This record gives sequence, structure tokens and C-alpha cells, in this order.
Amino acid sequence: MIRSPWVRGIRPAVLCLALCVLLIAPAFSQAQAPTTVSYWLWLDDPTDPMFPALIKEFNDSHPGIRVVPQVIPLDQFHDKLVTAISAGSGPDASRFKDWWLGEFVQAGALEPLSPYVARWSGRNDVIANLWNTGRISPTGLIYMMPHQFITFYLYYRKDWFQQAGLQPPRTFDEFVAAAKRLTDPAHNRYGFGLRGGGGGQDQWLAFMVAGGARIVDALGHVVVNSPKAVAVNQWYIDLYRTQKVAPPSAPSDAYAQVLGAFEGGITAMFAHHVGSSVLVTDKLGATAVGVVPIPVADPKAPATMATMAGNMMLRGSKNKAAAWTFVSWLTERQAMDEWSRSRQGQLPVLTSLAASPSYQNNVFFKTSFDEAKYAITWPGLPGVGYVSAQLWQQLMQQALLGQISSQQMLDRIATALASK
Amino acid sequence: MANDARGALLRPPASRARSDRALAYLLLAPACALLLGLIAYPLLRAVWLSVHDVRLLQLGTATYVGGAQYLASWADPAFWIAVRQTVIWTVGVVGAQLVFGMCGALLLNKPFRGRAFWRGVALIPWASSSVLVALMWLWLLDSNYGVLNDVLRRLGLLHTAFAWLSEPRTALPAVMLAAIWQGTPFFAVMLLAGLQAIPEDLYEAARIDGGNAWAAFRYVTLPLLRPTILITTMLRTMWVANYMDLTFVMTGGGPGVATLTVPLYAYFAAYKRLAIGAGAAVAMQLAVVLAGAVLIYMRLLGSVEAAE
Repeated sequence: MIRSPWVRGIRPAVLCLALCVLLIAPAFSQAQAPTTVSYWLWLDDPTDPMFPALIKEFNDSHPGIRVVPQVIPLDQFHDKLVTAISAGSGPDASRFKDWWLGEFVQAGALEPLSPYVARWSGRNDVIANLWNTGRISPTGLIYMMPHQFITFYLYYRKDWFQQAGLQPPRTFDEFVAAAKRLTDPAHNRYGFGLRGGGGGQDQWLAFMVAGGARIVDALGHVVVNSPKAVAVNQWYIDLYRTQKVAPPSAPSDAYAQVLGAFEGGITAMFAHHVGSSVLVTDKLGATAVGVVPIPVADPKAPATMATMAGNMMLRGSKNKAAAWTFVSWLTERQAMDEWSRSRQGQLPVLTSLAASPSYQNNVFFKTSFDEAKYAITWPGLPGVGYVSAQLWQQLMQQALLGQISSQQMLDRIATALASK
Repeated sequence: MANDARGALLRPPASRARSDRALAYLLLAPACALLLGLIAYPLLRAVWLSVHDVRLLQLGTATYVGGAQYLASWADPAFWIAVRQTVIWTVGVVGAQLVFGMCGALLLNKPFRGRAFWRGVALIPWASSSVLVALMWLWLLDSNYGVLNDVLRRLGLLHTAFAWLSEPRTALPAVMLAAIWQGTPFFAVMLLAGLQAIPEDLYEAARIDGGNAWAAFRYVTLPLLRPTILITTMLRTMWVANYMDLTFVMTGGGPGVATLTVPLYAYFAAYKRLAIGAGAAVAMQLAVVLAGAVLIYMRLLGSVEAAE
């Protein structure tokens, strides 16, 4: 071994250098580590490869950010989000429903997005009135980024209607007449798949507003128990109770049951949205399934309900800039198109996409977009979360069973909505 | 080490006892800390929540309201419906599980071909997840596609679809049926273990004395199985009373409030209304009632141990 004085002299210097490299290296790697954004969402079909592909696309094209998603079923989403936020351990950003906006904004849990939106280049392509789905009042701050929305329409069995010589219903009267005509309990056939179980409040609200009832008036006062609303609600309850055009299981039927009954040839009509159009046409064939806007009491005043699944950022997040990059990217044209065309597909919120032939030539999308012009959403009241998550179902079931009146049902909903 | 041991031996007995006690406390400390953290803290927190008006998303802002949330629950008619239905649910489910579990245990105690296999199979309901059991029964009872309605229709007992879970009179019994099915194997296994501990010569003595099968069951099996029956019943009572998984998935407490039970009522208050204080007040009341069951259980356990 050579042990020259030069080598002996340089040895401490090499050791020092090595030590410095060891000490500095982690700092360098930390500086280059991407910002991690935790993102929670639900997927109607968790096996859909669209979402993992979309995340990969984002992470590959944004080296400074790494999005870590967590998929949670919609049924448990609200509970889990509420618990996590209360414990101070929520995600940076999350998929979100307009139902929950009021209670989360009241609790100060959401980051106002208006300053971010003002600087975002894509803002003018978003269908203008859809920004309101993320606001508490039309002039207030934006808390939810519009992403995927739906409007409720009516599916009907085209083949059954043709056989019976019926036209698809446009008004309440035509709807009831057709439903009665196509009801035959002896053969287990019913005119309308009424959803009294979980999630039925959206279908109900579609018929309520189509009948001329409103949840709140122009000033934001709760008017869900007005005489008009009580009458429309009674009409809806009577579809089951006196007209008997809904299956006996209607009080407890949730999505799986109303979809199953329509697909299985038990019901002639049911109200839903584009999210089920592929399932229904795959099962029954495109020629057997028709779609029309929700029938209305007065054709001069059409209305239906719309609901938005958007994205929010939590006020407590430490990675807001990165979270915003991701949340706004989801609403950009390409990501939006991929999502809307997937099995989760709902209506894209971008004007440029809505006008494209692939959406306009699809009767289910087109009907939904046509309805969007006059669709009404749940108001941004804190009580909407409770009403939509539990109270509506309990009261509607009691009303369908004749245990409470239409007025009693709506009085309790009004109290819950008006409470602070 | 050796010096320590010598030192301990040389110390006067009182001082040794003191240091032994100190060591004992030291060794118990981790277990105590765990119990305090996992049981005492949540319990005290629940008591605190029940006397404060506090909302789930705003835990930071709590107002002391004393017993107001307890009184509010008593003023709600739905609470009393839930109480009544919790009693029906608990007594019905535990009672039926005991009877069917006893039948199962007696059957599985008989020697027959493939007994080990059937003992394993019998455990499947107990080993299945509650959500799975709920979904399975949901479809078995489905008015259009359900097996039950199909069988009844083929037998000519049913002419139109009957919605078991949409009808207030049948919804609670239907969910109870699912719970009975799920929990019976637990009783069967516990009772089977008890049966196997009964010496065969007692049955032989009963036979020699001219006793028939019923007499053997009445005067040998039942008295010797009594401790197992009592303890298993008490345990199941506590579990079943606050078990809400099946009800939550199958009916969500409905139709209306037809299957609403106290734990479900508390859950709705805390997680749907976000009034966690009100939810805690309801949960505390259930806890107090079940604490009574715990006391009975402990006394039973004490008497069983004394008998042994």
C-alpha cells in the first residue's frame, strides 16, 4: 500500500468532503421531493380504470406534485369526512356534494376558492350559472369547484308505451295517466319506480320543483312547507298511496331496487340521470329505453333538480397551492372529458365540451343539458346535510305509510332547514 | 444483580414489601395507562359531550347545557319508539339465538358422519361480515327477486309481491331474523363446549335410573349447562343491544321509524344531525342500562367461579 505524505495529507480532506455530502444529500433530496396532496373521493364504480389512469396522468405531467387519492364509498363519505375534519386529520382536497356545502361552510372548514378562481385561466369555459352550486348565496364566495353535475330526467319503456299507444309524458296528468295504464299488480308491473329509501330525496325534489314547489324563495326564506309545496308533496305521496302506481316495496326502495325493477321489467318509468344510462341501455337495449325531461305541472314553467359533485379544499390544508393545481386540472377540458366519458360519466361543466357532438348526439346527455337551463339545486343551508342524509327518508317513509301527513312531513323538513 | 438480590434479602421485611409493591405498580403501569387511554378517556369524554351542546364539525365551540340533551331525547317520541324496539330487538334476538343455538349444540354433540365438517359449516354465519349478511338478507327478502317471496308464491301462499322490509309490521321481525341467523352459531359453539364438559356417566346414571331423553336433558344437561347459558346470554344481550350494523344496512331504521333502535338513534343524532352532544346523551343512557347487565354478568361470573 502506498503511504505517501500526499495521500496522508489529503485523507482528512476527503473524509470531510464525504461527511459534507452525507449531511447535505438529504437536504437536496428533500428540496426535490414533490408536494404530496391527499385527495378523497367516491366513485360510483370503484373498479373503473379511468381514475387511476387520470391520477397517473396528473402525477406524470406535474413532477412537483404527487396526488395520493383515497376512494371511500359515497354512503360513508360524509361521516368519514366530518370525523376527519373534526379530528384535524382531513385530506388537502376532496370530492364534495352540494348537499353538504351549508354545514361545512358554517363550520368554517372550507377554503374559499374565489381568489384562486379569479386567477384561473379556465374559468370562462365553466357554464356560468354552475358556479352558484359552490356558493351559499349568488353573490357569496365560491367554496366548491364545479366538476360533474346531473339533472334528473325520466326513463320510460319505449316498447311498453308503443304497445299501449301512449306518448311519453310531458305533464303531471299525462304521467299519472300513463303510470296507471301500465300498472298491473297481478303481473307484478307498476307504472313508476318511486324511491322512498336511501337517496330518494333528489328524485323527490325533481318532482317537487317540477310541480311548482320551492325549498327557499328568492330571499332565501324556507318555503318548503307552503300550501303549494304541501299539495305537490301530497300528489307525490299519492302515487304510492292512492294511485298505487308504485311497487309495494317503494317506501324502502333505494337506487339498487329502483334500477333493478326498471331493468327487470317491473316498472315502466323511473327518474334518474345520465349516470345510469349505460347500465340501462346495456340491459334493455337502446330501442326499449326512452328518456324525457321530468314531467311538469305547468308546461310553461318547467323545472327539475340538479346536483353537483365538485371539489373543495380544506381550510386546514398545508398544501393549498398544489391542491388547487390538481383541483383546477380536474375541471380542465381533457381530464373532464375523460371523466365524463367513463363509467362514472356525468355532465361536464364546460361549455366547450357540452357543445361537442359526442355529448349533443347522445340523447341522455342532450336531455340533461336541455334541462340544465331551468334546473334547481338544493339551497346552501346548513340543514340540507341532515335532511338529505337521514331526515327526508324517515319522514317520506312515514308519509308513504300514512303515519304522518304531507304538511307534518314538510313542517319538520322546514324546521330542520331553518335551524342554524 | 447478585448484589441487588443479596441487598433485598438483607433489607428488613417491611422495606422489601414496599419495594415489591412499587415494582408491582411499575409493571402494572403500562396496562393501566392503556386502560385509561382506551376505556376511561373515551367514557369520560362521552360524559362530557353529553352535557355540552357541541356539533361535530365545531368541536372547539361547546356550551355547557347540563341535562338538557337528556331531557330533549325524552321529549322526542321517536326516542321512546327506539327504546321499545331496542327491548323487542334484544329480547327477541337473544332469546331465539339461545333456543336455536341450544338445538344446534345438541345436534352437533351427537356423533355422526362428517361432524367436524358440519361444526365448521355451522360457524359460517358468525364468521361472515355484518354488511355481507345484511346484503344477503336484503336480497333474500327482496319483494321481486327474493327467494322467500318466490317460495311463498310457488306454494300459493302469496299472489302479489310482498315487501317485507317496506311494511312496518314485518320490517323489524325481518331484520331480527337476519340477526338470529347470524348470531345462533355463537350460542351453539359456546353451549357445545359446555355440553362436552358434562361427564358421560351422569347420563348413564340417568338411564339406569329409568330416565328418558327429556329427563336427561331436564335434570342433567340443563343444570350443568346453566352457568354457560347465563354467561353467554348476558354477553350476547350486551352485544345485541348496541348492535346496529344489520338495521343500518337493511332498513336504515325504516320504513319511517319501524326498525329504529337506540344505538341507531344516537348514530343519526351524532353523524347525520352532527349534534354529537345529543348523540352522546342517548349513548350514555344505553351505556347505563348495559352497565346494569355488566353488573349482573360479573355477579354471575363470581357465583360460577365460587361453585367451581
